[in-house]
Amino acid sequence: MRADRAMTPRRVVLSAVGLVAAAFFAFPVYWMVSSALKPTNQMQSTGFDLVPTSLTGQHFLSAVDKPGFGDALVNSLVVTLVAVLFSLVAGLLAAIPLARLRFRGRKGFLLLVLVAQMAPFEALLIPMYLMMRDADLLDKMPALVLVYFAATLPFTAWTLRGFVQGIPAELEEAAMVDGCNRWGAFRRVTLPLLGPGLVATSVFGFITAWNEFLFALVLFQDQSKRTLPVWLSTFQTAFGTDWGGTMAASTLFTLPVVVFFLIVQRNMVAGVTAGAVKG
Amino acid sequence: MTSTIDTAVPAGNPPPAPPRADGRRTGGRRRPLGQVLTPYLLLAPAVVAVLALVGWPAVLVVLTSLRKMDLGELVRGQVVWTGFDNYATVLGDPEFWKITLRTVLFTAACVLTTLLGGLLISLLMRQLGRVVRTALQICMVLAWAMPILSATTVFQWVFDQHYGILNKTLVLVGLSTFEGHNWFASGASTLFVIGVLVCWQAIPFVAFSLYAGLIGIPRELYEAAGMDGANPWQTFRSVTWPTLRPIVMMMTFLQLLWDFKIFAQVWAFRQGGPNGESTTLPVLQYLKGIAGSHFGVAAAVSVLMVVVLLVLTVQYLRMLVRSQEVDL
Repeated sequence: MRADRAMTPRRVVLSAVGLVAAAFFAFPVYWMVSSALKPTNQMQSTGFDLVPTSLTGQHFLSAVDKPGFGDALVNSLVVTLVAVLFSLVAGLLAAIPLARLRFRGRKGFLLLVLVAQMAPFEALLIPMYLMMRDADLLDKMPALVLVYFAATLPFTAWTLRGFVQGIPAELEEAAMVDGCNRWGAFRRVTLPLLGPGLVATSVFGFITAWNEFLFALVLFQDQSKRTLPVWLSTFQTAFGTDWGGTMAASTLFTLPVVVFFLIVQRNMVAGVTAGAVKG
Repeated sequence: MTSTIDTAVPAGNPPPAPPRADGRRTGGRRRPLGQVLTPYLLLAPAVVAVLALVGWPAVLVVLTSLRKMDLGELVRGQVVWTGFDNYATVLGDPEFWKITLRTVLFTAACVLTTLLGGLLISLLMRQLGRVVRTALQICMVLAWAMPILSATTVFQWVFDQHYGILNKTLVLVGLSTFEGHNWFASGASTLFVIGVLVCWQAIPFVAFSLYAGLIGIPRELYEAAGMDGANPWQTFRSVTWPTLRPIVMMMTFLQLLWDFKIFAQVWAFRQGGPNGESTTLPVLQYLKGIAGSHFGVAAAVSVLMVVVLLVLTVQYLRMLVRSQEVDL
């Protein structure tokens, strides 16, 4: 059995297959970045050019300069951050009793969170549109903030409940014995320990809202109110086949997500194993 | 930061707690009203939000589907109940059945490919050495994390008719018919490209989940199977599969739920074109409701979609609760 530590032919073949699979997953990402850095005259050529022969930052400048980019960036940031902040606050408030307190109807509330988490938002497009229209919120930031708040809240509450459960209540009780009141014990003991959980949860909320397309397309029809995903989807039609610019814009849009994702992945796994899964 | 949590967790089996001074867990007979109300007050914002922004729209979609509601009614604020007329319109339209069939086939193909791909990759990962495995994992995280809209733009560029790297590569290896091949000439071909994109992004999640299950299987089981002279297929069936089965089932339902309601990818590629040939149910809902202002008809499409999703969701939740992944 130990023999398969050596470089057997089987092992070499498997490694080769593994590398091909890795290339398959990485290629579109590589292709986006390398196309963004490639001079325009190399883009529109029929030559086979897997590796760019020269690099330029030109496309990034032109993408940022395109009309609408600045507006879309600001819109995306505002809508996403406000929605995540709301769902973090409401989610944490809900997570505490769900994790710590005994009260009538607790299971019912948990089930409500779970059902809301599974609700097919896409199928609520029409009533959402009509509601926002009635409330005169079309083309206004609060409309998307509310939708993203509702879309991220169940997940946030559910995950934070797992994190709170992971912190022994005895710690809080010890602080109360030492003279803290309930709120003080929570603020001084539980909240600091909850830090990584709050970061992880909010990053996942951020990614969800940052990526969202359907509601952004429908609720914000005014051009100056577009968010980045919608702006990106119209990039080609608006600017012809400027693939270099399109790839540069895509890269800029991707960057925060990948960075956040890599930061949180480890945290998230630790958090889930620590708190969310019964062990 | 992580270590804080790790060290704080092993609450294990704490020694029997002394009687709590505040009596909050012992359910003392007389608790002050403030304490009884606390959990409900804390839950209030979330519950109100969920009821107003998920519950009410869910009711409203059913109500709207029972009304005639075009632009005229909307502007005048008229309420015209028409019973099941919208459903009759939708269900009587052969185009609807074509689109439903297309959506079902697309979903099935995506889910099947994703699950199979994820399973193979997870099995492969366990066989790989540390270096190659880590490389594969990093590449998969990249694909997983990439925003959908970035991914769709890149795939359009890769599959571009004249300058796309795919056609160039295919010509280079001798398939000269692909010179100037238009991948978006037909609905089937367009959906194929969208399917590749969907699976490319979904396989990592499935592979990681299955891999997490795989590394939990004790080595001894494999060694025992080896001693009993089991061949690889028998080992897979009797050792690996029993562990993976529940995870595979969960992943199947999650993917079914996700793939059935895909909108962004389909819309961003060709807006359901050419000639509506790549239109799926979520796109139909958008076209009828938002683009066509037939809100009642679109709501009927939504309700029909919800029915399908609901059946799948109930199954999924039952599995989730039964598997103790979720402790209520």
